[in-house]
Amino acid sequence: MAEATPILSVQDLVMHYTTRKGDVSAVDGVSFDLENGKSLGLVGESGCGKTSIAFSLMKLLPDNAKIKGGSIYVGGTDILQLSHDELLKFRWQRIAMVFQAAMNALNPVYTVGDQIIEALDLHWGDLSREQSRERIGQLFEMVGLDPKLMDRYPHEFSGGMRQRAVIAMALSCNPDIIIADEPTTALDVIVQDRILRELKKIQEKLGMSMIYISHDIAVIAEVSDRIGVMYAGRMAELADGVDIFEHPLHPYTYALMRAFPSIKGEKHELVTLPGEPPDLLFPPPGCRFHPRCPRATDVCKQEQPPFADNGRGHFVACWHPMEANHE
Amino acid sequence: MNMTVQTSSVDTAPPLWQMRLKLALKNFKSGWAIFKENPIGIIGLVLIVFFALLAALHPILMATAWEPAVYDPITGYDFEILIHPSPPTWIPQPDNPMWEFSFRHVLGTDPLGRDVLSQLMFSTRSEFLLGVGAALVTVLIATTIGAVAAYYGGLVDMIFMRIADVVYMLPFIALLIVLSSLFDFELIHLALVYGVLAGFGGTTIVIKSQALTIKVKAYIEAARIAGGNDLHIIFTHLVPNLLPLSFLYMMFTVTGAIFSEAVLSFFGLLDIRMSWGLMIQTAQAAGYLLNSWKYWYLMFPSGVAITLLCAAFYLVGRALDEVVNPRLRKR
Amino acid sequence: MGKYILKRVGQILVTLLIFQTLLFVILTALPGDVTNRMLTNPDIPPEVRERTRQALGLDDPVLIQYGRWLGNFLTGNLGVSYSEYPKPVIDILLERIPRTVVLFLTASIVQFVVGFTTGRALAWRRGGFFEYGSTVVGVTLYTVFTPWFGLMMIFIFGARLRWLPLGKFLDPVIWRNAEITGLADSASKGNYVFTRMLLTASIAVVLWLLLTIFTRNMSTRRRNRARLGGTFLILATAVGIWAASEIGYLAWDIVKHMILPVVTITLVGFAGTMLLTRQTMLETLREDYIQTARAKGLPEKVVRDKHAARNAMLPVFTGLIINLPGAISGGIITETIFSWPGMGITLLNATTSEDIPLVMGTLSFIGLLTLTAHLVADVTYAFLDPRIRY
Ligand SMILES: Nc1ncnc2c1ncn2[C@@H]1O[C@H](COP(=O)(O)OP(=O)(O)OP(=O)(O)O)[C@@H](O)[C@H]1O
Ligand code: SF4
Ligand SMILES: [Mg+2]
Repeated sequence: MAEATPILSVQDLVMHYTTRKGDVSAVDGVSFDLENGKSLGLVGESGCGKTSIAFSLMKLLPDNAKIKGGSIYVGGTDILQLSHDELLKFRWQRIAMVFQAAMNALNPVYTVGDQIIEALDLHWGDLSREQSRERIGQLFEMVGLDPKLMDRYPHEFSGGMRQRAVIAMALSCNPDIIIADEPTTALDVIVQDRILRELKKIQEKLGMSMIYISHDIAVIAEVSDRIGVMYAGRMAELADGVDIFEHPLHPYTYALMRAFPSIKGEKHELVTLPGEPPDLLFPPPGCRFHPRCPRATDVCKQEQPPFADNGRGHFVACWHPMEANHE
Repeated sequence: MNMTVQTSSVDTAPPLWQMRLKLALKNFKSGWAIFKENPIGIIGLVLIVFFALLAALHPILMATAWEPAVYDPITGYDFEILIHPSPPTWIPQPDNPMWEFSFRHVLGTDPLGRDVLSQLMFSTRSEFLLGVGAALVTVLIATTIGAVAAYYGGLVDMIFMRIADVVYMLPFIALLIVLSSLFDFELIHLALVYGVLAGFGGTTIVIKSQALTIKVKAYIEAARIAGGNDLHIIFTHLVPNLLPLSFLYMMFTVTGAIFSEAVLSFFGLLDIRMSWGLMIQTAQAAGYLLNSWKYWYLMFPSGVAITLLCAAFYLVGRALDEVVNPRLRKR
Repeated sequence: MGKYILKRVGQILVTLLIFQTLLFVILTALPGDVTNRMLTNPDIPPEVRERTRQALGLDDPVLIQYGRWLGNFLTGNLGVSYSEYPKPVIDILLERIPRTVVLFLTASIVQFVVGFTTGRALAWRRGGFFEYGSTVVGVTLYTVFTPWFGLMMIFIFGARLRWLPLGKFLDPVIWRNAEITGLADSASKGNYVFTRMLLTASIAVVLWLLLTIFTRNMSTRRRNRARLGGTFLILATAVGIWAASEIGYLAWDIVKHMILPVVTITLVGFAGTMLLTRQTMLETLREDYIQTARAKGLPEKVVRDKHAARNAMLPVFTGLIINLPGAISGGIITETIFSWPGMGITLLNATTSEDIPLVMGTLSFIGLLTLTAHLVADVTYAFLDPRIRY
């Protein structure tokens, strides 16, 4: 497989939240690449660290978060080394974010148009007001909104319209990468799915790279070229979508697949496994999945399995992977 | 919860009031745990206790150490001191050859020869009575109206809420100034009027909205379906759940009432013989304002006392706010 | 928007009616009748009392009296003052209302700006000394006994430091010798100058509003520049005109008399605004749109001062509206302490001299003032919060 330079390359990312009770190990040695124009889906149970990764990529973390190690290369520069001012220029221009279904992602006291103009003013120098409005008109048409709506306030938009406006805002500065993080509380599943598909189309048309985040593997499978399965702050398995579905190697992924019903569209939580995901304040030693893993052995309890390529870019972190019958 | 009481065998279940008491005790304990985390509330509480001690100590001192002819807050006069007002006796007075160290007048004497500390302590009691009296009236009215308006809704609700809108927009102090000068206002009248005004006004609005959220809870519905009498439901289910909030608003009412009393008596409009407001007024009217540093014992104790006592109840109110409204709590 | 304002006006009118009714009830509940108190002023001849009795129709049925009371209020026929006999009450009030309004408006704006700015700045620093320090100072100022605090201000800045006058509206010595053609006594000279000051301020406000409207469609950077420059220009012109005019020093005298009461009201009032701002800022900073603003690459200062503060302003403004009656009470008290000849001192003097028509007139107008302030604040709020505009 011919390796192009990835637009995004994350290596051994470690991120902790400091709390009064101790450190929450929310991201622990996560690595992945994202190729230009491709999409990556991150999937995992609630609290496994998906959002933490997304915010690390923009270096947009709460005060109590600390990136302990690793590197994040975007188009060749390590953003963890950027100065504060460089970082401000980097955000939105290189990586933008769609806060999906976040009803409150738009500031209620400014018009939607003004909130986009703000980003344009910041990153594209002093556009005249007419130029900015023209640009927003284009963006609105692209996401299927009437350009006349740009002078409206967020509360005059329906939930779906708001999501589209947020997408338009993310597209405004032509970013290289867009992250779409779906919180666990989606409002309207049908609208959500449709918008996600439209987003996918726009992404392909503009040739951008995309990271989709969801706890629902069905959604992820539909829109992503590669899929990363996360468990308790670590990447369990990372492979092309087809491979993950047809030949899951990690016992956790395997359990997910089995739990996944064949009738498409039916939503459900990924809690069919016995037990619960660990408290990241006190993660279990060795493989973090071992307390729930049917294949666990002594080595699993003591040593962390390496995140290794199993051929064809199929990465897995497991001492005893499922039968790999690729060939 | 009531359902379990009804379905389980009656003779083994403790009576309802006992369970309620236990629950209240539990709530109180957890509330107290949150309250005492907050230094603001503790400061307020300490201040309140301090003033309560002052108030309680006064009659005791009058009966024992303090001779009434000298220390009576209204009619007392110290003949042994030639010039009134006189500074605290424990502070050296270089230009006074008669001076000797003593605690005879800890805060000096006022222009009429009366002991300032005695006045201060004597007034504390009436401030408490006034504040708590007004607050009780307010809470009684506001809780009842709030609960009734929320429970019945419709016309009853609308009427009371309109009244509340009006009352809360009234220029309180202006109205009190007029009332107290046109009618002979004593402390008890002030407590009543203030309590009624506050009770029909803003407090009702807050308590009603809280009552609305309780009204939709399952146990009220259950009680209603079980055929409970309306009044019975209001007073056994709705009102007890409103009490924490009412208690919180009591604190703010106390602050307001004490403040109003001080203003009115400062303007000389209250039919009252001694109070903190009056003490300031006496000193100011006698012309000691422009020399406040020298006559600090005339200008400061009462002013600071009013401020501190108002602040104390206000602080406790704020701290209680955090107990009652979890939204405000820090994680 | 129009509908909303109309609804509020309607509510306010109903409230006013109820307030007037309440006043009437108080009046009729008074022992004896209104004219009893006329006896206390020896300057009023007895037949005047009889005439007033008839004019007031005190022997008519209560309902007719009530109707007449409302009618009189609407037509501004508030009777004749007893203590300043034979001045009509409405004349006295018309002279004093602007003074109260100016003082109250200035103080309110200053205290809001100061409270909001400090609260916003405090939200930057969490915990530790600043949090408790600001809370302690804030609560102390918030609950301080206003009359006493006012007296202390007079004592420190007036008597001790002698920076500012001790009180009152103007310095009689300066004004006695002031030459204003056609006016003899200080009072009418004062009114002459004061009216012109009010006019200047009103024109400045209108100009400023026009400026805001005309710069609306500019690009962000140009708009900010134009607004800042325009505001400065308006202020400079206004001050310049007054400085050059012959009565400039008189206006300055009035301003000097205003400073201490304004500062007092500000100090007493800003703490509440400050504490509320800090708390709502901290809550607002947790909102999703703040995260969005940060993601867009906006500097932290812009995120807080533009996005967070603008939203935090809404509950703070609501708090201000809720607190309005309290603020007016505080204003009345402060005015009285500083002998500022506005509504407060008029009310107090009228009550102590049992000048019933003046008492009732003043109280009516204080009520009207409170309600108008409420209306203005509500409408302003509707402009601040787009969610209300429909
Ligand atoms: N600010 C914070 N302080 C402390 N712990 C945090 C903080 N934010 C997140 N965490 C913890 O870090 C872990 C990862 O959280 P994260 O939000 O990244 O999960 P997620 O995969 O996005 O979950 P979800 O699907 O619910 O959005 C969780 O255990 C969470 O409790
Ligand atoms: S390493 Fe061991 S415990 Fe972990 S997933 Fe593989 S088999 Fe299970
Ligand atoms: Mg998340």
